[in-house]
Amino acid sequence: MNWLQRNIRPEQIREFSLLLLIVVAITIFSALIPNYFVPRTFDRIASSVAIIAVAAVGQTLVVLTRNIDLSVGSLIGCSAYFAGTMAGLDKGLPPIVVVLIAVALGVAGGIVNGLIVTLGRVPSIIVTLGTLAIYRGFLVDLSGAKTVTTDSLPKWIVDLPHASVFSLGKLDFTVSIVLTLVIVAIFQFAITRMNYGRRFYAIGSNPDAAQLIGMPLRSTVFTTFVLSGALAGLAGFLTLARYGNITVDNGRGLELQVVAAVVVGGVNIFGGSGTVVGAMLGAVLIGTLEQSLYRLDISEFWRDALLGLLILLAVASDAVILERLRALWSRTELKLIDKPPPQVGAVGGSPP
Amino acid sequence: MRNIAKRFGATQALEDVSLSLYPGQIHALVGENGAGKSTLIKVMTGVYRPDRGEFLLSGKPVTLSSAADAQQHGIAAIYQEPLLFPDLNVAENVFISHQNRGVMTGWGQMFRQAEEIFAALGVALDVRKPARGLTLAAQQSVEIAKAISLHVRVLIMDEPTASLSAHEVAQLFKLVKDLRDRGVAILFVSHRLEEVFEIADVVTVFRDGRLISTRPRRDVTPKLAIADMVGREVLVQPRKPAARGDLLLSVRSLGREGVFQDVSFDVHRGEVLGFAGLIGAGRTDVGLALFGIEPATAGSIVFKGKTEVIRSPRHAMACGIAYVSEDRRQLGLSLPQSIFANITLPVLRRYLNRMGLLRTAMERETAESYRKRLTIRTPSVDLPVNKLSGGNQQKVMLAKWLNTHPALLILDEPTRGIDVGAKEEVHAMVGKLAEEGIGIILISSDLPEVLAMSDRVLVMREGRQMAILDKKDATQEAVMTEAMGQQGAVH
Amino acid sequence: MKALALLKSWEGLLLFLLIVIVGLSFENSPVYMGVGNIVNLFQLEIEKIIVALAMTLLIINGEIDLSVASVMGLAACVVAWMFHHGVSMPLAMLAALVAGAVAGLFNGFWVAYVGLPSLAVTLAGLIGYRGIARILVEDRSYGGYPAWFNAIGQHPQFGPLTVSIIVFAILFVVTAVVLHLSGFGRLVYVMGNNLQAARYSGIRVRPIKMSLFVASSTVSALAGILYATRLGSVRGDMAQGFELDIITMVLLGGVSIFGGSGNLAGVGLSILAILNLRNGMGLANITGNTQTSVIGALLILSVLVPNTVDMIRNKWKGRTT
Repeated sequence: MNWLQRNIRPEQIREFSLLLLIVVAITIFSALIPNYFVPRTFDRIASSVAIIAVAAVGQTLVVLTRNIDLSVGSLIGCSAYFAGTMAGLDKGLPPIVVVLIAVALGVAGGIVNGLIVTLGRVPSIIVTLGTLAIYRGFLVDLSGAKTVTTDSLPKWIVDLPHASVFSLGKLDFTVSIVLTLVIVAIFQFAITRMNYGRRFYAIGSNPDAAQLIGMPLRSTVFTTFVLSGALAGLAGFLTLARYGNITVDNGRGLELQVVAAVVVGGVNIFGGSGTVVGAMLGAVLIGTLEQSLYRLDISEFWRDALLGLLILLAVASDAVILERLRALWSRTELKLIDKPPPQVGAVGGSPP
Repeated sequence: MRNIAKRFGATQALEDVSLSLYPGQIHALVGENGAGKSTLIKVMTGVYRPDRGEFLLSGKPVTLSSAADAQQHGIAAIYQEPLLFPDLNVAENVFISHQNRGVMTGWGQMFRQAEEIFAALGVALDVRKPARGLTLAAQQSVEIAKAISLHVRVLIMDEPTASLSAHEVAQLFKLVKDLRDRGVAILFVSHRLEEVFEIADVVTVFRDGRLISTRPRRDVTPKLAIADMVGREVLVQPRKPAARGDLLLSVRSLGREGVFQDVSFDVHRGEVLGFAGLIGAGRTDVGLALFGIEPATAGSIVFKGKTEVIRSPRHAMACGIAYVSEDRRQLGLSLPQSIFANITLPVLRRYLNRMGLLRTAMERETAESYRKRLTIRTPSVDLPVNKLSGGNQQKVMLAKWLNTHPALLILDEPTRGIDVGAKEEVHAMVGKLAEEGIGIILISSDLPEVLAMSDRVLVMREGRQMAILDKKDATQEAVMTEAMGQQGAVH
Repeated sequence: MKALALLKSWEGLLLFLLIVIVGLSFENSPVYMGVGNIVNLFQLEIEKIIVALAMTLLIINGEIDLSVASVMGLAACVVAWMFHHGVSMPLAMLAALVAGAVAGLFNGFWVAYVGLPSLAVTLAGLIGYRGIARILVEDRSYGGYPAWFNAIGQHPQFGPLTVSIIVFAILFVVTAVVLHLSGFGRLVYVMGNNLQAARYSGIRVRPIKMSLFVASSTVSALAGILYATRLGSVRGDMAQGFELDIITMVLLGGVSIFGGSGNLAGVGLSILAILNLRNGMGLANITGNTQTSVIGALLILSVLVPNTVDMIRNKWKGRTT
C-alpha cells in the first residue's frame, strides 16, 4: 500500500485501470469479432480517436481549473470548414499555413470564451453554451451553407490520413496519430513539469488558497480557454484531413464526446486532478468500444446511451468510491525522528 | 540580534498595542474570544492596515501593504486550518507559494530540498504523497516546513493546536522549539493555558483590544493570567431567577464521535442553563446534537419524560426543541426574503390553506405580533431581512424560533455582533421567556452575559464537560479556570 | 412609487424591450397583432416555452437540467416506437410520460440523494437519454400516426387555440400559483437562497429537489409528445439543442443562475420577447442557425449585463473587488 501511495500519483491509478480496461475490451472483442486484429481496425479507431483526443487535451486544461468548454464542437466545425475553404481556394497554400488558419480560428473563439468567463464573471457553462450557438451561427452564415468537398482540396490534405510517419510491424502510425501523441506528450510535460502548468492544479484544488498566495487566477483561467480553443482548431484540421467533405453541420455534438473522454479519463469534474494522458486513454476506450460495438452489428445508436452512462459512472465513482478509498487508505500521521542538532541561524534551503 | 517591535492602535479592535518580538523567543498571546488577537495577527500579516502607530522590523520602520509583502519581509502565519492544496503532493505544497520559481518544476530538487527541511525538523514524512491524506498535525508540519522554506523570521501561530490530540501537540511543540532555536521569533496564540505555560518564554495578555500585561514566563501563573484576561466590569443586569418548574430535558453521557463526549445535564422549565467555554469546546455541537442536525452517536436524551432519539430537525421541532444558530448570515436567515417569510419558515404548514397556498395575511399578522413583542425596528414586516441591522436580524431569528412554540430554546451566541441596546432587549426577552416556563440553554462566549443570565453554568473544554456551577459559585475566574484548564502539562 | 420601482427593475427593462420588438414588427407588417398571428407566434416554439416553466422552478432552486431536450426527444421516440410495435396510441403516450418521470427520478436521485452536481448529472443525461432515443428509432423517421394525433398538434381545437397553447396556459397559471402563492414555492426560493438555512429550519430539502427534477422531466416528456403531434413524424434527433432556448428564456427573465431570485412575470415577458424576436427574424429571412446564435448571445448577456452593472455599482461605492 505504502509503496503504491509513494511512487504512483493518484491519477496514475486511473490511467492504469483505463489501460487495463482497454486491453480487456480488445481481448473480448477479438474473441467475438473475426479479423479483429487487423491494421484496419487500428487505423479506424485511431483516426477517429485522434480528433477527440486532441480536443480532450484542451478540455482537460479547462476542467482542471473547475470550468467547462462546451463550444469545442462548433470550433472544430468552424476551423475544419474555413481551413478547408482556404485550402481549396488556393491550392498552393503551404500546409503549415492551413494548419495555422485552423488553430487561429480556435484561438479566436477561445479568447472570447476566456474574456467573458474571467472579466464578465459569467459561469463557463453559460458562456460556452451560448458560444456553442454563436460560433455555429457564424459558420453557417459566413459560409453560405456550402460544403467543402474532397475534390476541392489540395492533394496533400487528401493524402494525409494515409501518410504514415512510421510503422510498427503491420500498424501504420499516420500523421494524425503521431500528432496526437506529440500534443499529449507536450501538454503532459507542461502540466507535470512546468510551474505554469502546475497552477491549473492549484487553482482547481483550492482556488481560495491559490488567490491568497498571489496566483493570477484570471489570466491563468483565460489561458486555459485559449488553449482549449487552439487545440479544438487543431482537431478541426485533423477532421478536415480525415473526412474531406465538410458540411456546416460538422462537429455538432462533438463537445459531448470530448467531455465524456475527459471525465472517463479521470479528470475530476471539480477540478484539481487528472491528466491529459488520462483524457487520451478515455478517448481511446470510448473509441474502441464504439468501433467494436459497431463491428458487432450492435447499432451505433447505442453509442450515446453508453456514453451517458459512462459519464455518470465516472463522475459518481470519482465522488463516492474514491472518498471511501481515501478513508481506507490510512491517514498519514505526523512522525518525529532523531535529527542532527540544528545550527543557529541556519533556516531552511533556498527555493528551487 | 534582530529586534522586531510593533506600536500601534487601530480604533475599536485594537487600542494602543505595543509588542516586541525577539528572535529565538516564543512569545505567547492569550485572551478571551474577541480580545483583539486575530486583529493583531491580520495587521502583522499585512491584511489590515493599522490606523495609528508603527511597525518596526529590525529597528527599521516598515509598512505592509499586502500578504505577499509580509511574506517578503519574512513574516509568515500558520492557522488552525492549514491552507494546503489537497491534490498536490507535500513537496509541491511546501514550495508553491514561492515567487520567482522559474519555468521548470524541478521535481528532483524539490523533493530533495523538502526532504532536507523535514529531516532537519525531525519529521518523517513522505514528500511525494498528496497532501489530502495527511492528518491535521501532519498538515501543520507542512505549514511549518513552508515557513522555513521562505526563510521566515517572524512566525505567527494562531491556535495551531486547537484540533490536535495531546500526542500530536507534543510533537508540534518539538518542532516549534526547534524553530525557536534556529533564531525565529515566534508569536504563539492559544487558548490552552497549560500549553502556553509549557512552551512560552514570554506571556502577553490581551483584553478588549488592549494589551494588559507582558511578563516573562517565570513571573506568571495561570491565576494571574486569567485575572488579567477577565478583570472587567460586569455590564449585564443580573436576571431575577424565575421559579424553577418540572424537569424538561435530561441528557446523559451524550456524545458524538470525534466531537464531544460524556455530557450530562438537566434543564428544568423556567430555567436558564448557561454553556460556557472557549470556541471549539463543543458547546455548539451539543446544541446541534439536541436539534438533530449533527445527531449524537452515544448517550441518551429524555425530553418531557420520553426517551427521544433525535436524528433530524423535524423530530426535534416536533418534540418542542428550537435552536437559534450562532451564524445568522450563513445558517439562520434567508437574507433576500422578507421578515415575515423568514419568521414563518420552520412552521410554514401552519400558514397554508387547504390547497397548499400561502395565507400571507396570517403570516404578516404573526410577524407584526413579534415585531411588537421583540421591538424589531423596521418600517414594515415586508422588508427583506438583509436591510436590517444586526440586532434586528437577530430578533427576527429569535422570532422565527419562538414561533415554533418550543418548550426548550437553545440560544447560540444570541448577542454576538449586536449593539448594546439590542443586547439589553434580548436579555430582557430571555428573562421573560424563562418566566413563561420555557427552558433555555444559553451558549455564549460573553462571560458577563452567561453569568448574569444563567441559573447554572455548564463549562465545556475540548469536547468534555468540566463542571456545572451553581449561580453562587459561578465567578468569572471559576468559569475561565474550568474552560482553559490549568492542571497538568501536556502529555 | 411602486410603479417607478417596477420600471427600473429587470421586468421593466424586458417590458421595454418587448415593446420595441413588437413595435418594429408591427411596422413591418400590420397584421402582426391579429389573433391569428399571435397564435402562430406561440405555436412557433410552444414546446420550448412549456418546458421553460418547469425549468424556472429548477433554476430558482439553484439547480439546472441540461437533459430536457433529450427527454423531449426520448418521449417522442417512445411514442413512435411503441405505436409502431402495435401498442395503442393513448397507451404509448402514457408510456412516454412515464419514461419522462423515470428520467426525472434518475436525475433527482443522483443530485438530491447522492449529492452530485446537477450540471454533470444532467449533462450525462443529455447524452444518455438521446442515446436511448436513438436506440429505439435509429436513423429512421417514424410517421403514420392516427389523424386525431396529428390533429392535436396541427389544427386548432378550441376556437383558434391549439391543444398545446391550452396546455401552456394551464401550466403557466399552475406554475404562477405554485411559485408565488404556495408554501412549496416559498420553500423552492429559500433553498435556492440558502440551502443550509433551509436545512437548519427543518425543511426536507431532498424530496423537494427530487420532485423538481421529476416535474422537469415529466413536463419535458409532455412537450416532446406535443412536438411529435405537431410535426407528424418522429426522428431520433428531434428537439436537439432546445435546451439553449429554454435556459435563455428563464435567465433572460431575470432568474439568477445562482438561484433564489426571479419571478414568473419576468420569465413570461422574456418568453414573449424571444418569441417575437424569433418571429421577427424569421420574417426578415434570417436563417435558423443565425437565430440560434442570437439566442446564444442573449443567454450570455442575460448574465453578463447584471454582473457588469454590479461591478460598476461597487466601484462607484468605493469598494474594492
